[in-house]
Amino acid sequence: MSTTPSDRSDCAEPPVRVSGLSKLFVDEGRGEVRAVDDVSFECRVGEIFGLLGANGAGKTTTLRMLSTVLAPTGGKALVRGFEVRQNPEAVRRNLGFFSASTALYPRLTARETLTFFARINGVEEPRVESRVEELIRRFGIGEYADARVEKLSSGMKQKVSLARTVAHDPPILIFDEPTVGLDVLAALDLQGLIAELRDEGKTILFSTHIMSEAERLCDRIAIIHRGRILACGKLEELRTATGEHYLEDIFVALVQPRPASP
Amino acid sequence: MSGGREVWILLRRELRAALRERSVVLSTIVMPVLLYPLLLWLAFSIGSFVQGQQERQRSRLVVLGDSPELVESVAEILRGGSESGQQLEWVDGPEADHESARERVAAGELDLAVMVFPVEAPAGNYRVELLWDTTVGRSAKARDRVEDLLSDHRGQRIEEEVERLGIGPETWLGFEIERRNLATRSEMGAFVLGLMAPLFTILMIAVGCFYTAIDTTAGERERSTWETSLTLAVSRDRVVLAKFLTVALLGWTAGLLNLVALSVSLRAILAPALGASQMMLQFSLPWRALPLLFLASALLALFIAAGMMLFAAFARTFKEGQSMVTPFYLLCLLPAMVVQAPDLELTAGWALVPIANVALVLRDAITGTYHWPWIGLTLAVEVATVLACLALARRVMADENVMTGAFEGSFAQFVRRELLGHGRERSGESP
Repeated sequence: MSTTPSDRSDCAEPPVRVSGLSKLFVDEGRGEVRAVDDVSFECRVGEIFGLLGANGAGKTTTLRMLSTVLAPTGGKALVRGFEVRQNPEAVRRNLGFFSASTALYPRLTARETLTFFARINGVEEPRVESRVEELIRRFGIGEYADARVEKLSSGMKQKVSLARTVAHDPPILIFDEPTVGLDVLAALDLQGLIAELRDEGKTILFSTHIMSEAERLCDRIAIIHRGRILACGKLEELRTATGEHYLEDIFVALVQPRPASP
Repeated sequence: MSGGREVWILLRRELRAALRERSVVLSTIVMPVLLYPLLLWLAFSIGSFVQGQQERQRSRLVVLGDSPELVESVAEILRGGSESGQQLEWVDGPEADHESARERVAAGELDLAVMVFPVEAPAGNYRVELLWDTTVGRSAKARDRVEDLLSDHRGQRIEEEVERLGIGPETWLGFEIERRNLATRSEMGAFVLGLMAPLFTILMIAVGCFYTAIDTTAGERERSTWETSLTLAVSRDRVVLAKFLTVALLGWTAGLLNLVALSVSLRAILAPALGASQMMLQFSLPWRALPLLFLASALLALFIAAGMMLFAAFARTFKEGQSMVTPFYLLCLLPAMVVQAPDLELTAGWALVPIANVALVLRDAITGTYHWPWIGLTLAVEVATVLACLALARRVMADENVMTGAFEGSFAQFVRRELLGHGRERSGESP
């Protein structure tokens, strides 16, 4: 598959552009399930774009399509101009994907993990070692860099996971519920690191069902429910649109609209 | 980055992870080098120990018949001075007829009942009937001992009779039998090695592939690292190719290590069974055969690896993988049994049967027999089966539901549904 610039759309365009994206599953028990239904949004350079929704709302399916794990059944998704179906390898080269379903290889050490991800995702060989050392320093992995991943605590694993996600310095990062299973301190630590990455100019897609997390971290939020995006914008814009102040209330107002008074 | 380099990086990662898993190391290195030769040695040692115990066991018997003189005469023959005679123990029991003797043998109170019946002519002759239970080892042993003693006695009687008639052995012997084995020590060693080594090599290739195939597919799914590999910035074909090469390489290594270990330790393994006659044998792999052994076993490892991965790709846990791959594993071993028939030759027909063909090529290479046209056909068939498996694997891996572990079914169901179009409606694919 070609990855020449001619395949790419204008670089001034948002790094992530999703239009009319759909995913249809056929389930023996439930019949046709439209997990993602005509979803459209854009993510801009240097912002954290949040996908907020309850479990099963379609967040993970959307992000898995963007990371090319799943193929969309309709619509289009462009990552830095590369279409996810037509050019999946180029898409993967331009993003880092972090989710509960992309665990670390347990039998490698943290250092071996970072070296592998840097190498396979295209960091040039002479730079691999220095890049790994840089990541170890930055994410504070030094103490356990040579321990096997299977021996690490959840918090340590999350740090190594985050480091391996950015090992090849991709411009776009996708975080699918990254703080699930972490204690408060580890979750805050991780949120801080994600915010730092945003400040460095990365485009970040962040999915969560934790309202406070979305409120604290996201520059723009899309509220997704039953596969459809119900609202998208900055927190202030969502407040204005719904007349609610807290994100929790905004969410409830959108997914369970009050019946109009007679 | 070139495709070859990507596969190399992925392969190194797979190998490193696999070789840090205890069950993989056990099946790939420890089993073929130590455990299998040790188990074989133990099996032969136990076999010869049991045989020795049986030799030392005395056979309990009774001699019965209507004529007390005949009974005494046969008992006298059996009590004769030979070693076998001393291993017999006369059991005192009630005066018994044919029926009660049968019951006592069946009940295990006796190993053998010797029934003696007079015959009408010629005078002095008699008929001996032996009652034993072939399902009981010591009963069968008793029969052998008594039969040997009676046969020896018959031979001795014939010799005495012809001597009485004035006929010398040079007249009645007619001919002599002299045995001369033309096979050299190394040829006899190669023959024994050829009967055992191909079967165990194929077994070890299958064992070596078995755990790694499951570990790199179902094991990865269970550890949630499968999707990690799918999000790497390389093509999925290369990810799968690296896994396939890992499985094949470790299976091949297990097979070759076993072949070397067997050829080195076969003398010690067979020592308990062969005793002093083991000195007649010389076990070694002929250098000339090595390239063919390497090539044929490598192709076989590629085939078994591809087959096992096809089944394992549908499993979501290691346990599920074991039950899905086991039938294929057993299926691999059956054709390898052909090497146990020493007269079976590699023919065009056998060259078309995967696994059996390689087993025969391995055996022939060890014994120094080369049917080049059929060896060529065997290698071509192996290459074709590997390519067919890879094409099928590519088709399987191209299916998003199989790739992401959402397909709820086995390889057979996939073939029925997706390739043969039975009940084509896809199912179980929700996230």
